[in-house]
Amino acid sequence: MAAPSPSPHKPRRKAKRVGNGASSITSTEPGPLVRTPSFPLAAFLWPARGSASEWELLPLILMVVGLFRWAAGLWSYSGFEKPPMFGDYEAQRHWMEITTQLPVSQWYFHDLQWWGLDYPPLTAYHSWLCGKIGSLIDPSWFALYTSRGSHDPTLKIFMRATVLVSEYLIYIPAVVVFVRRFSRLSSVATWTSSVALVAILMQPATILIDHVHFQYNTVMLGFVTASMSSMLADRYLWSAIFFVAALGFKQMALYYAFSVFAYLLGSCLFPRINISRLLGIAAITAASFAILLLPLVAGTLYDVKSGIDSRPDLDGPHPPLPLFQDLAAYLDTNAFYYPLVEQMVQMVHRVFPFARGLFEDKVANFWCALNVVVKLKKYPSELLQRGALLATLASIIPPNLILLFRPRKHLLPLAFATTAWGFFLFSYQVHEKSVLLPLMPMTLLLAGSQGLAKSTRAWVGFANILGCWTMFPLLQRVDLRVPYAVLTLLWAYLLGLPPTSLSAYLREGPPVWKEWLTFFIHGFFYLAMGLWHVLEAFLKPPPEKPDLWVVINVGIGAAGFSLCYLWCLGSLILESELLLPPRTKKAKTQ
Amino acid sequence: MAEIYPSLAQCAIVAAGLKILLFPAYKSTDFEVHRNWLAITHSLPLWEWYYEKTSEWTLDYPPFFAYFEWIMSQVANLVDPAMLRVFNLEYDSWETVYFQRFTVIITELLLVHALQMFVDSSRGASKRAAQAAAISILLSPGLLIIDHIHFQYNGCMYGILIGSMVLARNRSTLLLSGLTFAALLCMKHIYLYLAPAYFVFLLRAYCLSPKSIFRIQFLNCLKLGGGIAAIFGTAFGPFALKGQIPQIMSRLFPFSRGLCHAYWAPNVWAMYSFVDRVLIVLAPRIGLPVKADALQSVTRGLVGNTAFAVLPDITPRICFALTLIFQTIPLVKLFIQPTWDTFVGAVTLCGYASFLFGWHVHEKAILLVIIPFSLIALKDRRHLSAFRPLAVAGHVSLFPLLFTPAEFPIKTVYTIFWLVLFLMAFDHLAPASSRARFFLFDRFSTLYITVSIPLIVYCSLVHGIVFGKSYEFLPLMFTSSYSAIGVVGSWVGFMVVYFTS
Repeated sequence: MAAPSPSPHKPRRKAKRVGNGASSITSTEPGPLVRTPSFPLAAFLWPARGSASEWELLPLILMVVGLFRWAAGLWSYSGFEKPPMFGDYEAQRHWMEITTQLPVSQWYFHDLQWWGLDYPPLTAYHSWLCGKIGSLIDPSWFALYTSRGSHDPTLKIFMRATVLVSEYLIYIPAVVVFVRRFSRLSSVATWTSSVALVAILMQPATILIDHVHFQYNTVMLGFVTASMSSMLADRYLWSAIFFVAALGFKQMALYYAFSVFAYLLGSCLFPRINISRLLGIAAITAASFAILLLPLVAGTLYDVKSGIDSRPDLDGPHPPLPLFQDLAAYLDTNAFYYPLVEQMVQMVHRVFPFARGLFEDKVANFWCALNVVVKLKKYPSELLQRGALLATLASIIPPNLILLFRPRKHLLPLAFATTAWGFFLFSYQVHEKSVLLPLMPMTLLLAGSQGLAKSTRAWVGFANILGCWTMFPLLQRVDLRVPYAVLTLLWAYLLGLPPTSLSAYLREGPPVWKEWLTFFIHGFFYLAMGLWHVLEAFLKPPPEKPDLWVVINVGIGAAGFSLCYLWCLGSLILESELLLPPRTKKAKTQ
Repeated sequence: MAEIYPSLAQCAIVAAGLKILLFPAYKSTDFEVHRNWLAITHSLPLWEWYYEKTSEWTLDYPPFFAYFEWIMSQVANLVDPAMLRVFNLEYDSWETVYFQRFTVIITELLLVHALQMFVDSSRGASKRAAQAAAISILLSPGLLIIDHIHFQYNGCMYGILIGSMVLARNRSTLLLSGLTFAALLCMKHIYLYLAPAYFVFLLRAYCLSPKSIFRIQFLNCLKLGGGIAAIFGTAFGPFALKGQIPQIMSRLFPFSRGLCHAYWAPNVWAMYSFVDRVLIVLAPRIGLPVKADALQSVTRGLVGNTAFAVLPDITPRICFALTLIFQTIPLVKLFIQPTWDTFVGAVTLCGYASFLFGWHVHEKAILLVIIPFSLIALKDRRHLSAFRPLAVAGHVSLFPLLFTPAEFPIKTVYTIFWLVLFLMAFDHLAPASSRARFFLFDRFSTLYITVSIPLIVYCSLVHGIVFGKSYEFLPLMFTSSYSAIGVVGSWVGFMVVYFTS
């Protein structure tokens, strides 16, 4: 051929040019001209930098994170073959059993000794829906009484599928939308925000607790994310609705309630007072609560009308109310509304177990750590409750005051994280799984400005890995060491974090004392975690202290989480520009 | 040239994470087969390996694989000695599962290394394409389904094969390539199907002078012949001394098995059976005789021995002849034009011929076609358009291997992920060909890929809901007939590309 003939056809698509694709991941490096990904996750999405559109990338991301979730779900779950009570899996299955088999009014009363329903009504409705669908496949899974402690392998697949589907319907869309809005707000490039999205969705703690250990936390976390995401879009009413849904699914969402309140109130007061918005938010919140309770109320009234007792096991007069016993003096126990009052009080009583102790198991929060030094049991519970209340308030007031007076969108994840850390560290009745609540908004920081730069990545990574590590005692009780190790190490590897890499701490150029400080503090904790794993694996604790390893875990965890709280609070103060004199405000780059 | 991201090592690490998470997944009888071989090689003297038959899963791989099992059994002994007892049938303690699954991941490092060799051997602009192809092999759903869930050591074996093919790229390592392939044959004899391409290539490129086919390079012949003899001697020698070769051969080549394997591999015989099945209905109308005895078995298609009701029966001799004919055709071109690209094409076509016309072909053998083809699929768009239907058909045809509900999302989502990702990436990377593409072929492959979606939905969901447990052969038959069309179509397409480029 004399001259190269023109190609008979062109490539289907011209590569699109997206502006500074890798700004926050690479631009911080004063490195060579050739850009290189600074951590493996960025390397995986490297080929998609210029050419692939978001809509090509998103389905792939969702498939991969789904695969890891499902594969992790092949492992055992909480309470597997652990009679007599089994575990969280049995609790959730049991709720599907009672909600589908019993009249509504009995849901909160039925055999409370066997995993009585102690979550708000939306969980009950969700269980009902899952139970109905499951009964279509195999009615024996949710048969009353006989199905207790069922370990049917097909049932396990069904239950795993309900978690996955619930998450893909609520949490994942919420996170995808949040990441889009938040990264646009912080002027982060699309490709970078996709990296952040994968990092957030591969967060090991949520996968381990929901898809392996078994629970539906992502539904609640998804509603909270949707609420935050609505705040970013100035949709205050939707924000209120989503938050009520979160509260209605899991009372744990109260950890965020102050921040939601502070932000919504703040946005009605600043920069100018907006009464109609405030009234609108108040009205829609009340209406959402009403709708949330409506099925329960209607069901109870229907049952009363059809002569179904909420407690068929009891004869004789109405037993006293579990809470607010004084109320009975003012109410007619035979009136038509009394069963309703009883139902609501019982629900509140079940959802908020004030009667339990300060902390249940070994949790890496302040009280449990303090208990190692000072035996808290000797103090009256009244005093402890008051102390917990005061300490919690002291820890959450500063972030929420900032949010109230500076209701800025880019502060939301930090304020939510700080408040949730405050609750986790100092409040009453904390469970180790509650660490998911502060971790969620903190992990969302990855989608913000400089979110994938070294310092934020180092701290978010530190909090997540420490969080998983404090849940190790919980996981290893049901032989989940392997998924724990795989998912945690994989995430650390993807984000270039210890123990797989030190790249999040080291940098070329003159050393900065702040970075060295972070490096030494984190280094100490990572070493301690590693050493602890070695000790726990190879040494039996002394017989007089059987809980030694767990106690050490709790102590280290509480210290690390306190640092996370302080970091979040410090960043919040910095970001809110409270400390900057007004003139320099403009000069500060995003 | 700057490093290309993501690197193979990075992909291998993340894939290993997923594979470890898959430890508790379904495992087929192949898991017990390999446990039994660990036990045989560890607890019996060499002379009894090929005679031991306590388990029905007797040792039927060549001696190098048995040695490989013996090496692994030394470690297994430290993990859980109970798995090494021949009488401990179906033993699967968690230590055994972890150990065996882990050996698959570890030995797969050979594949990673070979793929890295392949990327390093590519130059210039094609390096990015080579990297993409290498990652596609490493992350192949075929290997994930067959090795890491269903259980086998294909990753390691194909690593050796790719290594040997890459060595053939450079004149100075031709000898090593041939010897590596000989060693591979002594590990798993299925690669005999590819041997003709190696034979012709080495003969032309190594044993004969590049200038003239009439000048024989005697020294090279001696080196190659001596090397191969030494390798086969190491493998079979000890057994030959005891006169056990006939026994080994009867284990390696069990001709008593049927034409089609338990499931239908998507080859010509699957289409043949499908036509036969249709003719059973049509035959009375067009006046063809129907053999009554063949109608008896309702489960035909599920059992090994397929008897045809209308069409003539197929003998191993016919299969053998057809395979040889269709292998020889591409080899002629290889002999005339012994370049590396033609060699890989010839290996691929040998794989195709044996898969399509072979006797008792297992659907897993599709990797014999997909993996060599992947190495040249990105050469240009014409190669890619022949590769596309193969990628879809080959992987969909593996779905029946996993039938448990827990693994259903994994096999489907992973395969769809792989197809979307790599077909999209390949589309960006494959350079335009200097020749016109065949218009219709591209349309065929688009249509073909689209049909796979309703097919998967029907086979995995609709059929179960409509028919329940009855007519179980229907989804299998549809899957394999559909896949057979894809494999045959891509074979025809690739033949054209091979002979015209």
